[in-house]
Amino acid sequence: MAAEADIFTLLPLHLDPTTKAVSSSSSSTSAALTTELTALNLLHRSLLSLDTPNGVPPPPVPVNPKRSAQIGKLRETGNASFRKGAHGDAIRMYSLGIDMALGRPGWEPSGLVREEVSGLYANRAQAHMALQHWAEGAVDAESSVEMKRVGNAKGWWRRGRCLFEMGRLEEAREWVGQALEFEAGEQDLVGLMREVEAAVERRARQ
Amino acid sequence: MVNWLSLVVPFAYLTILLGSLYTFSHLYRARKLSKAASLEPWFPPHLQRNIYLTLLHLDPSESGEGGPSKVPDSVLKAALLRRATEDIHRVLQLQNAKPALQSLLQRGSVGDDLWQRFLRAEKEIQEEIKDVVAEANAFAPGWGQLIFQTANEMAQNALLRKRVEEIQAQVTAEKEWWEKKKAGIQADFMKELDEDSKATQPVPTTGRGSDDDAVLVEGGGPTAAQQQGSMKKRKKGKN
Repeated sequence: MAAEADIFTLLPLHLDPTTKAVSSSSSSTSAALTTELTALNLLHRSLLSLDTPNGVPPPPVPVNPKRSAQIGKLRETGNASFRKGAHGDAIRMYSLGIDMALGRPGWEPSGLVREEVSGLYANRAQAHMALQHWAEGAVDAESSVEMKRVGNAKGWWRRGRCLFEMGRLEEAREWVGQALEFEAGEQDLVGLMREVEAAVERRARQ
Repeated sequence: MVNWLSLVVPFAYLTILLGSLYTFSHLYRARKLSKAASLEPWFPPHLQRNIYLTLLHLDPSESGEGGPSKVPDSVLKAALLRRATEDIHRVLQLQNAKPALQSLLQRGSVGDDLWQRFLRAEKEIQEEIKDVVAEANAFAPGWGQLIFQTANEMAQNALLRKRVEEIQAQVTAEKEWWEKKKAGIQADFMKELDEDSKATQPVPTTGRGSDDDAVLVEGGGPTAAQQQGSMKKRKKGKN
């Protein structure tokens, strides 16, 4: 058993001397190896752009404030457009913010990414809802909830509302029921639940 | 002489007895060991570890004739980080599986083989982590304490991006479905309007898109009015 720690499978790897990209030199390469090597080369490139003294990723906790500031700014611009009624612009700003938040290097705290992305998706869902794009709104709100389940009553409410608007009453009821497990006593959700129940009943009577 | 002859029988008896016991235990243990060794490993081959070690052992002579022949440290660091990330995935898998497996084992629902495989995987991953920490410390002093923290965040980040991508991938299908449904609702609504001739109910949608009519059919008059109210409220309370 101890011997197994000392052996490994030699892979047919080749290092490009100029670009330093690792590739497989054998023609019959498994798909897993190819994707892994792509990921490795990507990571290598992002490591090279680091400015830490010994070229290793910094610890997760003190976050580079530049990106956070940019994301915050994009959200503020989006909110301002939304208030002015320029929902299309707001959606564009939120989308940029989402891309930027998801583009954070992997070693930055994932909790922070969740927080940012969930807020941005919730806002984008709202902008979609203002344009009555219920389908997009529903998907965005679901993304928001997936990133942050607790303390995200708005995200829960928005998807419930979108499903309700699309006439998917059963789904809406299930979703809002689930939401109430996380956010019990949230007035908006309780109200939405009542509406959904009423609509289900009405449909049953028809 | 007579004495010796009478002693041969008990001695032979003892020798045969001990000999057979020894052979039995020897064979038994050898079989058990080979069985344990031939047990299927818990995890598939560790691809990232293989890549890292291959890079480490890459022969300078065959990779690049003129240029710097050694694999640069930055590539090795990246490979080590990938290896640590995979280790994190494995540790999490083992941690999640352990309680369930223990209770199944107690109830006798799974065989001892599975438990042996699990224990072996656990031992291997401990060795693996120690190895990675040592390698990391060799690259940069103190990186050993950080590498798994970094790797953990990387694993979590990869996971959450995958989830978001999965959900967002639904958007085109959802949109198509809704467009189709909306068209259907609108057609129904127009038909209904025609049937009821003119002036049925005053629809409170002046100056709003036809999309909204479809919604009104769904929700009914009073709900739609309420809905507008609550939407406004929402707008104010956004972050």
